[in-house]
Amino acid sequence: MVRLITHNLLACHVKGCTSNNFPLQFKDVQVELREAEFNPDFLRGFIPRLEWGALVDAARQLGDTSLPAEPPEMLDDDFLQKLHHVLLEVHIEEGAMICPNCNHVYPISNGIPNMASAYHQPIHNVVN
Amino acid sequence: MPAATAVKAVTVSDDPQVYEDEHVHSVYDEIAPHFSSTRYKPWPIIAQFLSSLPTGWVGLDSGTGNGKYLPLPQDRPGSVWTVGLDRSRNLLEIAQNAGGIQREVVWGNVLEIPWRAGAFDYAISIATIHHLSTPARRKLAVQRLIESISPAHGRALVYVWAIEQDELSKRSIPTECSTNNPVTDSAKGKDVFVPWVLSSRSASEEKSKIPTSHDATAEANKVFNRYYHMFAQGELRQLVEEAARDLGLLIGSAGEGKGGDGDVPVRGLEIAQDGWERSNYFVEVRRWQSIS
Repeated sequence: MVRLITHNLLACHVKGCTSNNFPLQFKDVQVELREAEFNPDFLRGFIPRLEWGALVDAARQLGDTSLPAEPPEMLDDDFLQKLHHVLLEVHIEEGAMICPNCNHVYPISNGIPNMASAYHQPIHNVVN
Repeated sequence: MPAATAVKAVTVSDDPQVYEDEHVHSVYDEIAPHFSSTRYKPWPIIAQFLSSLPTGWVGLDSGTGNGKYLPLPQDRPGSVWTVGLDRSRNLLEIAQNAGGIQREVVWGNVLEIPWRAGAFDYAISIATIHHLSTPARRKLAVQRLIESISPAHGRALVYVWAIEQDELSKRSIPTECSTNNPVTDSAKGKDVFVPWVLSSRSASEEKSKIPTSHDATAEANKVFNRYYHMFAQGELRQLVEEAARDLGLLIGSAGEGKGGDGDVPVRGLEIAQDGWERSNYFVEVRRWQSIS
């Protein structure tokens, strides 16, 4: 799956592409919403690890404007529920992610992103 | 044990990427469901490592296979979040539902770093690096792992097959030394093929009770040879230390990093533990940095 929790970690790694290579931009994506178990303790610990601005922008690209521009000081349940939804319940099933710097395309198929870059594709046919 | 299932010494030939595509990745894509059905029990050292992580940490399972470590820790499910990376697309299809919950998996190469540098709090590499067919590639894989975790607090665990197998192991290892490794060099492991017997009978076991002839059975059991580099004693620790030194990291505990000059952080890597568990070698490391 590509959810925004993962998107917030991914960066372009094409040889020589070392600046402005994050966050990747979504293109032609199909999104599905699926409920996930709410775990506020995990979220509280996880927030400092996020690139917050990148998360807010990515959510807006997908049509979700529920997150504030800065994480609030009071992490109440209402906020954590919104964060939970954005991070863990929005699944990008098909489409692509594009590097803002070098325009390399990372395709997403059946919820799995192909993050291989510089090396050739596997020589055999993939059975899905 | 029939000849087809014995481990054989091999010499790596061809371009290593091509070699691994043929003798590792395409094999796992072929045997994915059967392989996965045999891989469900976590090793104790790995379970302990994942149980010891603070709530809210995010981690990487580099070479996740069927994703059996993604649901851990068992005692606090959901307290940390592990993303799985693998080269076998068919194993990832299984991994993305490991433990009956949707997981995050990424199709990619353990020799690349498709992440923000230091984005993860922890990383594990379980039974993966031994599938890389040259010392340089094994070292690069360890470096990618180290680069993936936080320079300030990142923790990583690497786990590989050992030449020294315990007596309960089902693996049969050739006793003669691989010819391309001098016997005198104890820090060198062995390059071997480990067969995987894919039985079509086990796949459709109850469907037909008609007895098959010997020939038909042999045909039905397809044997896939997977490439492994089996590690010698001390070899993994040495590999990890070399990988860290090449990245400019001091080897030792954080206290040893004091006394540098200026505001440049001194960065280091501590070997938290290393050892042998059930026919495998493991090394756990912790990154640290200090402003002196």
